[in-house]
Amino acid sequence: MADSTLLTVEDLSVHFSTSRGTAHAVDRVSFSIEKGETLALVGETGCGKSVTARSILKLVPEPPGRYASGSIRLANPDGSSTDMLAAPMREVRAIRGERISMIFQDPGKALNPALTIGRQLAEVFGEHRLGMILERAGLDPDKARPTARRIAQQRAGATRRRVYSLTNRVTSRALQRSIDEAVMAALADTGIPNTRKIMASYPHELSGGMKQRVMIAQALACDPDLLVADEPTTALDVTIQARILELIHEMQQRRGTAILYITHDLSIVRQFADRVAVMYAGRIVESGRAIDVLTAPQHPYTQGLLAAIPRPGTPRGQLEAIPGSVPQLIDPPAQCHFASRCKWAAPACSAAVPRLLAVRPMHETACFRYESAESVGMPQEDMPARIHHEGATAE
Amino acid sequence: MNQHQPTIIRDRTPVSDAVLTLHDVKVHYPVKEGLLQSVTGHVRAVDGVDLTIGRGQTLGLVGESGCGKTTLGRVIAGLVEPTGGDLWVNLTAEQQRDVDRLRAVEPASMTAADRAAWQSLQTGHRLGSMSRENQRAYRRNCQVVFQDSFASLNPRQLVRDIVGRPLRVHQGLSGDRLNAKVGELLDMVGLGSQHMYRYPHQFSGGQRQRISIARALALNPEFVVLDEPTSALDVSVQAQILNLLVDLQGELGLTYLFITHDLGVVQHLSTTIAVMYLGQIAEYGPTDLVFNDPLHPYTRILRDSNPSLDGENDATEWELTGSVPNPISPPHGCRLHPRCPVARAECGWSVDDVLTDIEDRAPLLFETISRVERQDDFTADVTFDTEVSARAFADRLQASRAHDAVDRPLEIADATVSVSFREVPDATLQQLREGRLTSCTRTQNLGALPPIHETRR
Repeated sequence: MADSTLLTVEDLSVHFSTSRGTAHAVDRVSFSIEKGETLALVGETGCGKSVTARSILKLVPEPPGRYASGSIRLANPDGSSTDMLAAPMREVRAIRGERISMIFQDPGKALNPALTIGRQLAEVFGEHRLGMILERAGLDPDKARPTARRIAQQRAGATRRRVYSLTNRVTSRALQRSIDEAVMAALADTGIPNTRKIMASYPHELSGGMKQRVMIAQALACDPDLLVADEPTTALDVTIQARILELIHEMQQRRGTAILYITHDLSIVRQFADRVAVMYAGRIVESGRAIDVLTAPQHPYTQGLLAAIPRPGTPRGQLEAIPGSVPQLIDPPAQCHFASRCKWAAPACSAAVPRLLAVRPMHETACFRYESAESVGMPQEDMPARIHHEGATAE
Repeated sequence: MNQHQPTIIRDRTPVSDAVLTLHDVKVHYPVKEGLLQSVTGHVRAVDGVDLTIGRGQTLGLVGESGCGKTTLGRVIAGLVEPTGGDLWVNLTAEQQRDVDRLRAVEPASMTAADRAAWQSLQTGHRLGSMSRENQRAYRRNCQVVFQDSFASLNPRQLVRDIVGRPLRVHQGLSGDRLNAKVGELLDMVGLGSQHMYRYPHQFSGGQRQRISIARALALNPEFVVLDEPTSALDVSVQAQILNLLVDLQGELGLTYLFITHDLGVVQHLSTTIAVMYLGQIAEYGPTDLVFNDPLHPYTRILRDSNPSLDGENDATEWELTGSVPNPISPPHGCRLHPRCPVARAECGWSVDDVLTDIEDRAPLLFETISRVERQDDFTADVTFDTEVSARAFADRLQASRAHDAVDRPLEIADATVSVSFREVPDATLQQLREGRLTSCTRTQNLGALPPIHETRR
């Protein structure tokens, strides 16, 4: 693992058992994320991008899910690395929120409707920054009484809090002030006006954009190394989307957080990501620098996806739609999953899985059109029309 | 429900032969509170919309969530009763001019000929007072495709029953003739008649949307309301559906009202667009012109916020500030002004704008307000806990854009600040150029969108 690499996903497969067979939601996916960079994972509904994102935090429910193969290694500051899939649950829990955190698509569902914003955010600090909270309240973190600890962790019941506030008036106030200040600072950082009012509100009282800001505050409260953003702006209006994207970008600049950005919207990617990986039916079919993938897509699927987006110049009603629909992922055959919708498909495409091949520096694609018959071991007449590329000459 | 009080006649170019003409359409939902459920206010979901939909046109209705575009679509489809205003069906250009003229005339002062013309327009073309047959014909003629194909297709019915239902009800078809017709419709939307005996859950999102389209087209309508038909679909499938819609329009001569929040899609599909903000139309015009040269700050902001693949709008200063105002008491003047980057004195500032602003941006100062005594929406005495707070408030106000709109200097007495703004009438949609309508007061005065960089007076 290079020094600058933060996260390496290798050969990750996630399967789900269903009554009809095993669904291969993520199929031998490998990628890595450098410190401070933004990688966008792009794909349509059901391509496995969200499952990949959740796997990184080990959030896929088991069963029905199963990590069938692979590893997800997070680089530690001391040079070692932790495999999220193999590590004991206690370690995983310590990493969640602290070193890797996540923003979900629908902030309305991700926030607890029964708690005020202030209390939900206080939980984060109670979990990960207990020492800081106690210290700022003038308590010695090592000697603080269990009740004080539980209150700081938001684990004390109403009665216990009440009794504590009556018996330890001064400490209780200091503790609450310390918690509130930490929460307010986190909220103010995301540009929320009137933080005091927001803290006292319940999620349903806030607008979608405001809720997403709260989610971002919560995710970035502990300065994580990696932020996994799963379609954070899909549920929002364009004007709000623009500002949330700006906010995420600005927070990244300020703190040097790496971002794994999951989206189905290629137009966001151009503005926002350093690198892109395009997923189709559980596999990465193309990856490279954002600008390369968007201006010179190599895989037929990426080309189709870009051509299907309505643009100012497209003649009315003549969008280039990709015919057909996404194949079933239940016990899929070993083949290129895009073959059934691809205009260049040849017999070879239905006979084997193409590997990710570098066709240009830092630009990989998984398509038989870039392979020679010998390297794949197929008869020449079964191969699709070949494209010669820079990567081949370098080999 | 006749709107006979003299209203401002808004300039408009009569479209030759309109499928639908809307006059000052309003949908207000009562807000009920307390034990007795007394009505304390109205949510103005749609608040005075004038719109003409010409035959064969594709009108795109764009706006953000909560702007009332879906409600307006439902009014047009006859699913929601408007609480005010009129909908006129199938008016020729001449009839449109008649309606415009006669609406402004008191019934008492009408000549006999006018009265007869008005009467015949009412019974022949106005939704709500039309004859039963005309009403039924309109229902047949205007169909809807909804956003969520999961919710709009009955999960317990076969495709044959879903698509065949309108044919049974309106044309009395059954048996083989029904099957043949349903098969034909399924072929038309690219599904094939082999799918007739399946349930909706057996289809993908794109296929379900095709079923919805087949159902909408069953009765050969002239006019289809498309309420975000592709927003739940992936781009590759969205492209298929958009192509299908254009093909069908060419084949069948359909008129579309296309409701969406996706600017890329609306730009691709519609010939004319209407941009809605907070229950009103902000801008109306031919799609290309509106996109290339917006005449309302809101349109400009929408356009620039939309991420583009070619990276045209990367750096923009056109941004909205603050959050969407409460539709129960929308801002005076132009509805956008508290959030608008180019708002000035003439845009209609009121006491509420100032209070909302300090609540958001200076919460500590807001908490020191002890009393607000209003004479009306434009004039009020704001009392603070201390004189220091009152001075801070006055300073803040003097530094803000709203201060340009005061009609007398602020008076500070002890801890009370008296504020009074010039009263400004509500912004109306006016024709600025041929076929281009905008409700932005400043654009109307300047003849063009105000520049974003300008020195404040």
